[in-house]
Amino acid sequence: MPNSLNRVAIAGVGYSQTGRRLNLTNDEMVRQAVTAAMADAGMTPADIDGVATMGGEAMSIGHLLGLDPLSYFFTSNGGPAFVEPAMNAYTAVAAGMAHTVVAVRLIRQQPGQADRNSGAVTMPATVGGDAQFTSPFGADAGAVAMIAGLEMTAHMAKFGTTEEQFAINASTQRYHAGLNDDALLRDPLSVEDYLNSRFVSKPVRIFDCDYPVDSSSAVIFTTVERARDWQHKPVVVEAGALSSLRDMNFYQLDDYATTSPKHCADLLWSRTDLTPADVDCAQLYDGFSIITLQLLEALGFCGMGESGPFVEAGHTRLGGSLPTNTDGGACNVGRRHGANFCIESVRQIRGECGDRQVPGAEVAVWTNAVGPFAGAMLLTA
Amino acid sequence: MATDSDVLYPPRPEPDALTQFFWDGVNEHKLLIQRCSNGHYIHWPKIVCRFCLSTDLAPAEVSGRGQVATFTQPVQPFHPYFQQHPGYVLAVIELVEQPHLTLVSNVVDVAAEDVRVGMPVEVTFREVAPGFTLPLFRPAATGS
Repeated sequence: MPNSLNRVAIAGVGYSQTGRRLNLTNDEMVRQAVTAAMADAGMTPADIDGVATMGGEAMSIGHLLGLDPLSYFFTSNGGPAFVEPAMNAYTAVAAGMAHTVVAVRLIRQQPGQADRNSGAVTMPATVGGDAQFTSPFGADAGAVAMIAGLEMTAHMAKFGTTEEQFAINASTQRYHAGLNDDALLRDPLSVEDYLNSRFVSKPVRIFDCDYPVDSSSAVIFTTVERARDWQHKPVVVEAGALSSLRDMNFYQLDDYATTSPKHCADLLWSRTDLTPADVDCAQLYDGFSIITLQLLEALGFCGMGESGPFVEAGHTRLGGSLPTNTDGGACNVGRRHGANFCIESVRQIRGECGDRQVPGAEVAVWTNAVGPFAGAMLLTA
Repeated sequence: MATDSDVLYPPRPEPDALTQFFWDGVNEHKLLIQRCSNGHYIHWPKIVCRFCLSTDLAPAEVSGRGQVATFTQPVQPFHPYFQQHPGYVLAVIELVEQPHLTLVSNVVDVAAEDVRVGMPVEVTFREVAPGFTLPLFRPAATGS
């Protein structure tokens, strides 16, 4: 059969157990997530013929779970988190390389200060490669909060975004988390709570950061025709886009205020007849809150530089014009690296979200982005 | 386990064949940036100019003048040396020679609360440990 451009849909979604330093192996976490996604769809391993993953290795995951032989496999070497394997799964099905591909993200909680104090993790006394131009100045490799600090300072300086607007953003997301049983942080967070919280890399505060956890997520992409055979109505991939503007290293950006989302968003909208006004809810990556604000602007939900006032006016809150990060975001459901935003989009379009359901949601956009790279996917009923 | 030297010094660069000139320049109190035969500056050092793909690249001394493109104050750095220096200013410095020609460095000789995006700065070479010099930036002298 010749390859052809198939229309693609999501047929199943699932999470592993998620929490702080779980005593589970990587394999067990991936098993839980993929099994949950298969159960959600009503599939068995025989129904899947492709694996795309960030975290772990695609062929080994396929063999572990009896998905082999695989007709498509992709293992990320680093990029915009879950949207990278998701985009590979989507395009593999669209191209006819495989009929049903599971996209996986596995992420473990990073070492903390306690691990460094105990000597379990040590910092190098000398640094080569790219790090020789950053680490001697206190720009730790892996300390992405510092990048977020550079981006947040630049945004505040260029556009006048205020810390109160970031506080409202954090408070709004926590309100949504309070309506989500899957969220790990659910107690109300006031503007004052935010303003009294500690800095991580000033002006970034602890509540601007996603919540580190052990987690695995899985989303099953298949053709629209096949998706109709499974348990839920298909959630259709309307369009997708990936963008890389600069070097993989986050310290080589041209514009820290806006970074990569604009190019990605322009690509996305060029591939659909839908417009930002058609979107019922937005699930915008919040590894750091500044990224959510950048994405609101890039996707055209507000003008460039206007995300602070947009959030302050309540547009992103449930009941507002563009409910955003309705699951509470990774700041509250834990660092699932964008997979939560894909899964929340699916659940909103299916109408499964209970107290946080956006009435009549039919179009959702979800994203990943940080520094030089971004990805976005537009989903419809 | 962190050693004494980890605590006393920032991580030391390990120059390679491509980057040796930069650190040799720093040790001579010169800021050297790669420039291609068509006049484009690039930093960090690479084997090819990203603007014109020229492979004819050589170190060129730059003015050391620039502005703060953006900055942050890490409160929870990982490295023991920087944990001993709370409130340090980690900055991206854009040099005057070319738009978006940037270095990562620290802004010194000014209170952190007075650092601003767009602030004019100039390079200052500081011996942070015996025999270990870094190119840092301070507010530019008036009129520079």
